[in-house]
Amino acid sequence: MQSNLTPNLLGDLQKQFDLNIAMTEIRGKKFELRAPVTCSTSIKNSVAVGCGDGTIRFLSSKSDPIVSKTHDGVVLCMTKADDAVLTGGDDGRLKRTSINGEVEEIASFGTKWVDSVAESNGTFACSSERNVYLWSGNREAPIKLEHQSSVGGLAFDASGRRLAVSHYGGVTIWERPKRRWKSSVLAWKGFHGAVSFSPDGKYVVTAMQENALHGWRLRDKGHLAMSGYPAKVKSFAWVGETPFLTTSGADSAVCWPFDGKFGPMERSPVCVAQKNAQISTYVQGVPGQNAVFAGYKDGSVLLASINEHSEPLTIRNATGVEVTTISTTQSASHILIGDAQGKILWAPLSQEIRHARYV
Amino acid sequence: MQPTEQVPVTVLTGFLGAGKTTLLNRILTEQHGRRYAVIVNEFGEEGIDNDLVVDADEEVFEMNNGCICCTVRGDLIRILGGLMKRADQLDAIIVETTGLADPAPVAQTFFMDQDVADRTKLDAIVTVADAVHLSSQLGEHHEAEEQIAFADVVLLNKTDLVDVNSLEGVETRIRKINPYTKIIRTAHCEAPLENILGLDAFSLDRVLEVEPDFLDSDHDHEHDDDVTSVSFVSDTPLDLDKFETWFGNLLRTKGQDILRSKGIIEFLGVDERYVFQGVHMLMDASPMGAWPEGKPRTSRMVFIGRNLEDMNLMEGFEGCKAT
Repeated sequence: MQSNLTPNLLGDLQKQFDLNIAMTEIRGKKFELRAPVTCSTSIKNSVAVGCGDGTIRFLSSKSDPIVSKTHDGVVLCMTKADDAVLTGGDDGRLKRTSINGEVEEIASFGTKWVDSVAESNGTFACSSERNVYLWSGNREAPIKLEHQSSVGGLAFDASGRRLAVSHYGGVTIWERPKRRWKSSVLAWKGFHGAVSFSPDGKYVVTAMQENALHGWRLRDKGHLAMSGYPAKVKSFAWVGETPFLTTSGADSAVCWPFDGKFGPMERSPVCVAQKNAQISTYVQGVPGQNAVFAGYKDGSVLLASINEHSEPLTIRNATGVEVTTISTTQSASHILIGDAQGKILWAPLSQEIRHARYV
Repeated sequence: MQPTEQVPVTVLTGFLGAGKTTLLNRILTEQHGRRYAVIVNEFGEEGIDNDLVVDADEEVFEMNNGCICCTVRGDLIRILGGLMKRADQLDAIIVETTGLADPAPVAQTFFMDQDVADRTKLDAIVTVADAVHLSSQLGEHHEAEEQIAFADVVLLNKTDLVDVNSLEGVETRIRKINPYTKIIRTAHCEAPLENILGLDAFSLDRVLEVEPDFLDSDHDHEHDDDVTSVSFVSDTPLDLDKFETWFGNLLRTKGQDILRSKGIIEFLGVDERYVFQGVHMLMDASPMGAWPEGKPRTSRMVFIGRNLEDMNLMEGFEGCKAT
């Protein structure tokens, strides 16, 4: 029956008759874990998901979930590294878990939590309090990089030669022009959490302790203040060709354009997937498309293409529990949605969604 | 998993050697069947042994919002966030501060960070004070005064080592700084835990119960403590507009010197009691239901802070009366 309805029409029907239809949910599988879902990442045609009880699950369409008890505590952070994930936990461990469930301990920091982790082209780093530990060039022992305060986030650029470390007072950029890593500082008052390079490597953005994002154009250290959010920006993602920096923290997914010479300077963001009187808590792009999934504090997930007139499609209905993570497989065949009470929805995405016919 | 309630957080302050570690060990080892997480500072005393102890590195961050006294504990935001992701449910969290810590950034964290406020709530500030040394500490360190000024409970410890006269002298000084705090005398921190944990002292409900513990006798003024308190009462209702102008301006300009404030106000033409409580410039306020039948509608307001005498508080409060 659904194949006769275009999702756009479905969107209209939902709007007109308040129909409680979320086909993704009907087709999907639900799991209930013992602890909050904390993180997830796409890894080939699987999705890896981490949880507050220390487990990591690999979900794929082909086989049953592969579960490994990686951490003795909360999985605090996760990044993809080839056909494995690197995770940090409140057990003070940095570990690698391969897609077939094998766990390897890379480092232990005792009672200090491992708060963030990043990887690019075989070079990887994790942070624990003020320190970043960096493994590069097949070296066994990491290089220790110290910062002025606790680290809020880590990100490599696409080449893996630059590492951005956010902290109180700004971001430190570590570069390796020759043999040694050298640092330069991008200063801005306040505490900076999650950090990211734009896909072209020209900008660095951070989510701040205040309800705002901050950005720097690296060429001239020009500032970008992206503020006006009613809540903290807990999640952001680079989406599409433009690209757009899609962000949570408002009653929609707020998407800042980073094309042209000046990026979002003096321009307004595009706000899509709007949901009245709710705050978005997680955003994730659809691979290869100019479209974004927006997860909300009430548990609902909407999908919309990034243009002012797009009609959002409901992917999951409200559950009353905050969405904490969303990932799709690399081909966008499946979506994973996790929440703050340990509920997971793993569902196939329809042909229409994969081929962008909801626009 | 069941939906979570806000986990209460008790802040434990006090100078090094006052007995914080003794109290923490008691809380962790007593058979109470409850699950507590303890956040300890890295300069703390040795000897706390528990799987739910988290090391913190007291990081005080200024917010980038133009408010000079809006500081928060960055490490607490991170650690409380992490603790809320655990598989097991915590009954309470205890945050130990270093001996020389100002309690304000800890308290302000619960006002400023929405995630912290959603998942946890400030239960009370408990200050462990050494009955032998408190008097000299109060004279030498402003942090000691702040810890007393912010305290909902002062655990006056080591009382077995001082005579009755000195003990009364110490209590007098505590009361002069903070007449609203509850003083518990102990020799080895042996007070019942229900007098220390689960007090809900920061809820607006509890503001309604605030009654200062005034001393009967005229105490001597040989020590001139820098932190003092004042309170005002009025049986005449206040004017909402006048109050907002005066109080807003007061917090904006003098908030740095006002450590804590609380009040219950009757506004002319408003049926419900208006209740507030704040730390420096940050305020939690709400209408809290009708006044009790047959009792006088007395507005009350209290301030604890520095340089209160320079703020024309009496004049300001009187000026808000509806005419």
